[in-house]
Order: sequence, then structure tokens, then C-alpha cells
Amino acid sequence: MKIEPELYKAKAKKAVNNSVLQNALAGLQERLGRGTALSYQRLPEGPDLRLKAHDIRSHAIEHLDILLGALADNVRQNGGHVFFAEDGQAAVNHCLEITEKHNIKKIVKGKSMVTEEIGLNIALERAGLEVTETDLGEYIVQLAGETPSHIIAPAIHRTRHQIGELFADKLGISYTDNPPILTQAARKALRKKFLSADMGISGCNLACAETGHIAVVSNEGNIRMSSTLPRVHVAFMGMERITACLEDYDILFRLLSRGAAAQNIAGYVSYLGGPKTDDQIDGPEAFYLIIIDNGRSRILADNDFREILCCIRCAACLNVCPVYGKIGGHAYGSPYSGPIGAVVTPLLFGINQAKDLYCGETLCGACKDACPINIDIPGMLITLRKKRAEGDRKWNVKRTNIMERMIFKIWALAVKNKKIYDFFLRMTGFLQTFFTGHDGTIHRLPFPFSGWTKSRNMRPISSKRFISGSKNIR
Amino acid sequence: MAMEQNEQEEFLSNVRKALGVNPIQKRDKPDIFKEFKDKNPDKTLETINNRTVDEKKALLEILIKEADSLNLNIIPIKDFKTAAKKIAALAEEKEPEWGEKKQIIAWKHPLVEKLDLNSILEVLKAPIPVCFTDLAHEKKIGRKQNDTIRMQMIHSYIGVTSADYCLAETATLVMKTRPGQARSVSLLPLIHIAVIRINQIIKNLKELYTILVYKQDEKEEGLTNCMTFISGPSKTADIEGVMVHGAHGPREVYIYVITDE
Ligand code: SF4
Repeated sequence: MKIEPELYKAKAKKAVNNSVLQNALAGLQERLGRGTALSYQRLPEGPDLRLKAHDIRSHAIEHLDILLGALADNVRQNGGHVFFAEDGQAAVNHCLEITEKHNIKKIVKGKSMVTEEIGLNIALERAGLEVTETDLGEYIVQLAGETPSHIIAPAIHRTRHQIGELFADKLGISYTDNPPILTQAARKALRKKFLSADMGISGCNLACAETGHIAVVSNEGNIRMSSTLPRVHVAFMGMERITACLEDYDILFRLLSRGAAAQNIAGYVSYLGGPKTDDQIDGPEAFYLIIIDNGRSRILADNDFREILCCIRCAACLNVCPVYGKIGGHAYGSPYSGPIGAVVTPLLFGINQAKDLYCGETLCGACKDACPINIDIPGMLITLRKKRAEGDRKWNVKRTNIMERMIFKIWALAVKNKKIYDFFLRMTGFLQTFFTGHDGTIHRLPFPFSGWTKSRNMRPISSKRFISGSKNIR
Repeated sequence: MAMEQNEQEEFLSNVRKALGVNPIQKRDKPDIFKEFKDKNPDKTLETINNRTVDEKKALLEILIKEADSLNLNIIPIKDFKTAAKKIAALAEEKEPEWGEKKQIIAWKHPLVEKLDLNSILEVLKAPIPVCFTDLAHEKKIGRKQNDTIRMQMIHSYIGVTSADYCLAETATLVMKTRPGQARSVSLLPLIHIAVIRINQIIKNLKELYTILVYKQDEKEEGLTNCMTFISGPSKTADIEGVMVHGAHGPREVYIYVITDE
């Protein structure tokens, strides 16, 4: 997909005015946001299990080189191939080579955000290959020529009515807005695709270094299909999606499923390691694993942000975020939306380019509480803002403009000096009378303060000072 | 291969550099694999092995309760013969998904064989053929034979398997892949039936991983090239969050738990 976080403001505005989307988002957060918090409470070990999960993930990240080396050795031992790709282009090239080598024409794909990140579909289609997304949500989005708007529920922005019309148009069925009938229509269309595909592509939720398997998770069964029926299976994984040993999965899976959909465990989990053996009936004849850096080592090298690599992409933070709940996923202009997107998108694609993402979040902390790994997203949002304010050569971040810095300098001086501060208050108290409307609020401020009143009315500064109030209380 | 190796070396040295360790020196720390391991696996294994009949029944109860919310059917039944009768009745009642013809595909597995489904289903008024994902003693499957089995799988409306374990707390079937036990049998047909014995039920994921890592025969076998967990029928909530069963995989799943034999 196209990465365009610059369009954040325009798209956010459109989303806020889209009543269909507003209903859908409210419904999603109502359903999943609360359920997740409850499901943590119901864990036999209690919500503190998240801290243990954090330890497990950090431990893996700190030893990433060792784990990745072991994983590659073990996958090869099981008969699979492993490629390491420094960036998206290298990963795409590997995939294209594989399609050529195996004479591939048709591809079925399971949901994978990392392939969206590197623009795989476009490249494959350009090479003349047929690529079909098979997760129902992704399939809908693909048929509509759109991009996913949620990590777990990609088509959350569409109504059943719209999907009905889409299917009537593209699949030639008669119009219905009945979800079971629509699902059945997709099942039928996609079954044909599964059976005729020569290659399946999937992501990887979490690889196991010790055994040399990747674990993939789904509820629909489409990833099992994609990795069982076609003759070649190619899995893509971001380099951080790995853990040391099998036992780690107990905690991580239980938390992943709760974070993603308030489930005890996802419907299907498969551990895949290598091609089928000669005496087996099904499974791919060739298995490839492509491990991708694409900017992750830069995140790894920075202690301020290393923690974000612990993320397991469960989307729990999206389901509770008040900002995501209003603007939806498309505004973020990246496959990674919501709080996780507000951190990861700038780090992967440019802190300047994606500045609106981390400035737009509210810092309320709901994401951290919902995160199964207890990742400090609010802290990282602040650090990103700091980097932008002060500039950072390592990240190619230019300082914000001089004007803003000057204003803050003056402000810092003012609040430290009672005389100046009192004078300032009296001045603004006087000036604001010119802008206050009948209802006692300020409707419009002049430039350069106009931004504050663009989408809301402001309360005027109180005539009674807080300090004098607190004296009265005493 | 040489290129693959170079690429890998460069990649990993980049990672080492980012981690702040010597980029050109391969780190060797075997103990990092032990950090979060079960500290007392023998005790866990012993608990599992020494479960009393009542404890096993309690696990079955947990399984039934958990399965309920997943739209998964657990049927405790005393012996294979009764189970086979029930399965036959189910097969008669249900309609095939694609086309008219009723056909069942089944694993070549001792527990499935014990059902002896053929002997019941073939004498019905409208007989239902049962095919097995059997390799007929050939070591390497020829393409022809493989294609035949694949076609049988595609056209079956019921798939019958067993499983390695069943986890009570999450209602999860665990199955490795072995010759004769094809992955598609629990995936392509509209209805999936699994037959297990009550002592294959264990408590949860934690017990499972301990067994897989520390039990001698499991350790030797490894995970195989595909180990699958199945918790209930295939499902999706991608259209307005409405739960629909049977997205791509089976719409109905039945687990027959043999309690007496
Ligand atoms: S940051 Fe946490 S909550 Fe958000 S997707 Fe990642 S793991 Fe899930």
C-alpha cells in the first residue's frame, strides 16, 4: 500500500464527518475494547502476567542476533529456505525470484501487515501474477480497491450494505446484506482460488528459534489453506517476531488472543517448519522464510524506542484509543494505525513526514493499559515529540521552526516571574473580552492563535484566579 | 547458498551493531534458551500421568463448558461402537456442501479405524463411501495417487480425524502431521469430526508445551513440519463484527470423547 502519513489531517477530518465510519468505530471499540480489559482480569495469574510477557519479549529482542541465527539454521535443517532482506525491495526481489523459479501464476495470501509495509502486492501484480487476499476483511478491501483500516479487522470501515453491493457487483451474486450469506459467497469464490493457487503467502505471528517453526494464527482458516494447499509457501516476517523456545508461547498466545479479540485462544494456530516429506499427502513442496529488517535495526539501536519491537501486533491499543476511535485507520496513512502506528510509522518511514501521527494522539495512556505486553507507547509518543522539537541527526529530524521555540522560551520566562505572569494574565483577561461571544466562550482567535479555535470554542480565562480560590478553601 | 550466507552475515552483524555488541563476532549464549523454561517439568509430567478417573472427568467437564461458547460440540460417549453409530446418524442427516454426492474422508489412524465406519455406512440404504488418506505402503507418494486423494478431500463433506491432545481450558485439539494424517482432513470438509480418548485431555497450553519439550517420545519426534491447534469451527467477524461460522474451514466441529474403553 502507499505510505502517506502526510495526509493525516485531511483524512482525519473526512473520517470524523463520516457517520457510517463513526458508528462502526464506536461499535468496534465497544465490543473489543472492554472485553479485552475484562479478559486480562480473568487470567488466573491476573493482569500482571503482562509484565512477564514484557520480560519474555524484551529478552528475545536483546538476543535477536542469536535467535535469528538459530531460527535460520533450524528451518534449513527442516528442509526450508531462509532469506534475510535488508529492506523492502530486497524482500520483494526474493519473492519475485521464487515465483520465477517455481513458475508461479496464481497466489493466495493470508493477512500480513509486513507485506503491506513493503508493497508486495503491487510488485507481484506488476510482474503479471494474480494475487488474492483471502482473509475475508482483506478480500473485501481488495475487491473495493482500498487498503486495510485495522490490523485485525481490515474492513471495519464498511457496512454490510456496502459489502452487499460490492459482492453483487464483483461476484455476480444477487444483493443481500446478510452476513452469513455474504460470507458463504466469499467462501465459495475463495475456495476456487485456494484450490487453483500455486503459491501461498503468509506473515508470521511469532517464530520459534529453538525448533525452527513459524507460528501463524487465524480464526477463518485461510492461513491454514494458504500454507497447506499450494505447492509453494512463502512466509514473511519482521525480524523482531521471534521467541526463544516453545514454552514462551503459553503466555504470549494467551495474551495475544485476549488483546486481539478478547478470546482465550485464536481458532487456529499452526506451527510450520519446512516442506512436506515424501510420505506426506499434503503441505507445500517448498517452504521459504523471508526475514525483513526494513528500518527495524535503526529502531533496535535506539534505546528510547527499542521497546516497540516487543509489539506482537494484536491491535488491542487500537480498540481503546480515543483518537483511533474517531479518525479510523486510513488517516494514519500506513498499514500500522492507532497508537502502535503513531509510534512505528514515524520510526519506519520518517519522523518528520509522519509528525501528525504522534502529535495527534492524546497521551491518555489507555493504549498502555490495554497492551498485552504493557509497552510504554505514551512515553514513546512524548519522546517522538521531543525529537521533533529539538531535532535529531541520527533520525534526520530537523528542529521545529524558530518561532515556536521562541514562544516557548518567552513562556518559560513568564511563568517563572510573578510580576510578568500577573501582567500577562491581566492583559489576556482584558483582550479576550473582544473575542468572547454571547455564550461566554471564545469562538475565534486571531492568527497565530487561530488553530486553537478552528474546531471548537474555547473557554475564556477565568476572572477568579485559581490561587485565590485555593486560599478561600483553606 | 553462498549468497544467502553473505546476506545473512551482513544482516546479523547489523543487528549486533544495533544491540551494541561486537558486530563481527557471533555471540554464543546457549543459556538464553533456558531463561523462561518450566523449572520443574518432571513434576508437571507426573501430575499429568497420575490423574485419577475423577480428575479426568473434571477436565472433561471444563472442556464441555469451554466448548459451549465456541460453538463446538463435545460428545462424551462410552465406546467406539456407539460413537460410530452416532457419526453415521450425523452423516445421514447432514447435506453435502458442493454437489450432491455424499463422501467422507478420514485419517488412517488407529482410533479412527476402531470406529470401523465403513461397515456401518456402506450398508445404509443410500451408502456413503469413506476414503482414507492412506499411502498404501508406498514410501514416496506418486503424483497420481496424491492427486486422487486430494480430489477425494475436496469432494468430501465430512472429515474424520483423531488428535494428539485436547486442551480442556481452551477447548483446543492439537494435531501433528504424520503420514496418513493429512492436514486437509480437518480443514476442507464442511464438518470436522474428531475422535479421542478421555485420557488425551490435558489441562492447558502450559501442560502441552511441557509434554512437547520434555516427554521423551515427543521430544524425539519434534513438532513435525505442521502442528495445528484447532479451537472450534472456522469463524469470522469481518462484516460489521457479526460472528459467522464456516468462513473457510469447517462450519461444524464435533469431538467424540471415548470415556470407557
Ligand atoms: S503495542 Fe501492544 S496493544 Fe498495540 S498492537 Fe502492539 S502489542 Fe498490541
